[in-house]
Amino acid sequence: MANLFIKNLTKVYDNRTVLNNISFDVKDGEFLSILGPSGCGKTTLLKILIGIEDATTGKIFKEDLDVTNLDSSKRGMGIVFQNYALFPNMTVLKNVMYALNLKIKNKEQAKKDALKMLKLVNMEDHIHKYPHELSGGQQQRVAIARTLVLEPDIVLFDEPMSALDADNRLALRREIKEIQKKLKTTIIYITHDQEEAFSLSDRVMVMKDGNIVQIDTPNRIYNHPKNEYVRNFVVSHLIEKVSSIEKCTGIDL
Amino acid sequence: MKKISKSKLFVCIFLLIFVVYPLIEMLLQVSWGGFGKLVTSDNFIEALTNSLKVTTASTIVSILLGYFLAYTLNRTNIKHRAVLKVLLTLPMLIPSISHGLGLINLFGVNGIISKKFGFNIIGPVGIMMGSVLYSFPIAFLMIDDGFHYINPSMYDNAKVLGLSKWQSFKTVTLCYLKKPLLSAIFSVFTMAFTDYGVPLAVGGKFLTLPVFLYKEVIGLLDFSRGTMIGLFLLIPAFISFLFDNFTRDYTSSNGEKEMIIKNSKFKDTILTICTYIVLIIIFVIIGSFVYYSFIDNFVLNKAFSLKHFDYVIGDGLFEYIFNSLLIAIVVSIVGCIIAYTTAYITARKKGKLSKLIHIFTILSLAIPGVVLGLSYTISFNNFFIYNTYIILIIVNIIHFIASPYLMAYNALQKVNSNFEAVAKTCNISIFKLIIDVIVPCTKKTIREMFSYFFVNSMVTISAVAFLFNVETMPLSLLINNYEGTMMLGEAAIVSLIILIINMFVKGIIYIINRIEHNRSMYGVN
Repeated sequence: MANLFIKNLTKVYDNRTVLNNISFDVKDGEFLSILGPSGCGKTTLLKILIGIEDATTGKIFKEDLDVTNLDSSKRGMGIVFQNYALFPNMTVLKNVMYALNLKIKNKEQAKKDALKMLKLVNMEDHIHKYPHELSGGQQQRVAIARTLVLEPDIVLFDEPMSALDADNRLALRREIKEIQKKLKTTIIYITHDQEEAFSLSDRVMVMKDGNIVQIDTPNRIYNHPKNEYVRNFVVSHLIEKVSSIEKCTGIDL
Repeated sequence: MKKISKSKLFVCIFLLIFVVYPLIEMLLQVSWGGFGKLVTSDNFIEALTNSLKVTTASTIVSILLGYFLAYTLNRTNIKHRAVLKVLLTLPMLIPSISHGLGLINLFGVNGIISKKFGFNIIGPVGIMMGSVLYSFPIAFLMIDDGFHYINPSMYDNAKVLGLSKWQSFKTVTLCYLKKPLLSAIFSVFTMAFTDYGVPLAVGGKFLTLPVFLYKEVIGLLDFSRGTMIGLFLLIPAFISFLFDNFTRDYTSSNGEKEMIIKNSKFKDTILTICTYIVLIIIFVIIGSFVYYSFIDNFVLNKAFSLKHFDYVIGDGLFEYIFNSLLIAIVVSIVGCIIAYTTAYITARKKGKLSKLIHIFTILSLAIPGVVLGLSYTISFNNFFIYNTYIILIIVNIIHFIASPYLMAYNALQKVNSNFEAVAKTCNISIFKLIIDVIVPCTKKTIREMFSYFFVNSMVTISAVAFLFNVETMPLSLLINNYEGTMMLGEAAIVSLIILIINMFVKGIIYIINRIEHNRSMYGVN
């Protein structure tokens, strides 16, 4: 059963078409990456999905429910930003509990849930620290916990690792994958990093200039790129990476 | 969404009623027939040329002084920079008229210093000195701020390229300081051009434009002629407003590295001495207030006396203090709320209306206090708030809103732009987000805004001079009264009280900032 249906979404800013009649769907529990260079419309798409911006035309359905004009808070979605957007005046625990306290009245239960989630992202040792005392990777873990603790059906990630260094990226990538397996949340993951998209996703959606170029499993995109653009932007990049590793290690991949 | 639209609407209506409407109303009631007669009258031409002359001279001196003080504090090895910076801005904490009176105490017809040497500075020289005294701290602060933005590695680049000292001054220092320097020139010129406090006190028979306006309105109740003169006062302010809004600031790259200051004993010593001379002058003036407060009469009997205190208290000093504190505190609180809300809308909710609100809010910077006060007298004299504290509070908020607004605007632009999106998805209301997150992130700025509103409400004599009545008169205007009858001791006491109250408030804010800084719980991102 597909969870989310996006139908004919178009977004026009001052005569400039940012999204051009986009349709796709996301299955329940799926990990979908949206891959594309900056300016391809992927962030606008995310903002429309979450409800921060309105689409010019088109509809979004969750199950049978039309959520196109529904308030952000009622869509059952959560979002994780590239710049973490943690509240700097609150500790790690407070950050995670803040919205939860509005949702469930029982403070003890809220604290329990928050701690459980912080444990899941391996931040249980830092709950009394302030965001500025944490590394970028740690801050992003807290941001993920803050989003997940509200139990959204769908979590949107907006280039969550762009601000992190290579080591942190690798570790966090693994954790995100594990968390998803455990919680079975649907994830829509925006990135411009081919490796990230291919290693994490069930399906990858390649975008260019407001259009979907190809949407398929990583395996099929790699072996059957739809056109020259996908070959250049995605496949060649990955091949280059593989061949450089082969060159360094002498191992035939 | 709805809440923001409501607050937008509120801000728009507020600005329309209290900025746009009075200005239009003021222009409508002018009988323009008298315009030709006014601008060709001897009095007007004399006042205009006088004003231009003294203002130009004071601006040049203020800017040079401001530049050298900023240079000394940023580019020499002078000690106690933080303390010096505070002391050099003390003149901002007393009304402009007090500077004039301080000069009378020292260099007037019977001044402490001038009497010994048989001269006095009544007239253009006095106005110039007074204007410099109260306007140079502004120039100093603006240029000092400019120095902080110079990227030190630019000097290294200049050196590598083989530029001479003069060339690197031209290409680096001047390039970075161009905008703050020009802004400072415009601000100081506007301040000195529109101020009537100093010339009223030390001008003697030397007539300047704002004094001319003041006399036409307060003395002759001729609002029409007052407005026409007021229009001339608007000109430099308006030019500076256009300049500030339409010049690009390309010094945004912040030089975070520490500037390495080379040891130059000779230069350092000279500049340090000059800085201390400026400080001594400031303290001599403040000292003259203390001296005049406690002596019977400088000319007749120099004995210690508390009679001035008795007189001022008998005059109802405490009621005036109450009035001033009430006005200043309400202006600070309400002003902060309005400036902050407006800045929140314009900094974080983009749109055409936001831009319009932005322009109207800083437009208030271009309206001199005397003109604003005059326009309120004309527009609201039949309105129920007239003759109450409310009109004094509103006129002060409008008069001073531009700077605190810009402080909030800059701070709010730096706050993480995704907070609203996070709040929306987490079902946190925008109002709750502002109270729980955004306000705590900008606490320091809010304190600065509060302090700006407070100090300026305490020292202002311009806008409120047309709007007070016996019941609501603020403390600063008491100085005007005493000046009129040359009661220097009484005026000195009032000036000191204002200075002490302002220092007290500034001190508290300084201490709170220090405590917070030391705790340094979190940084704003």
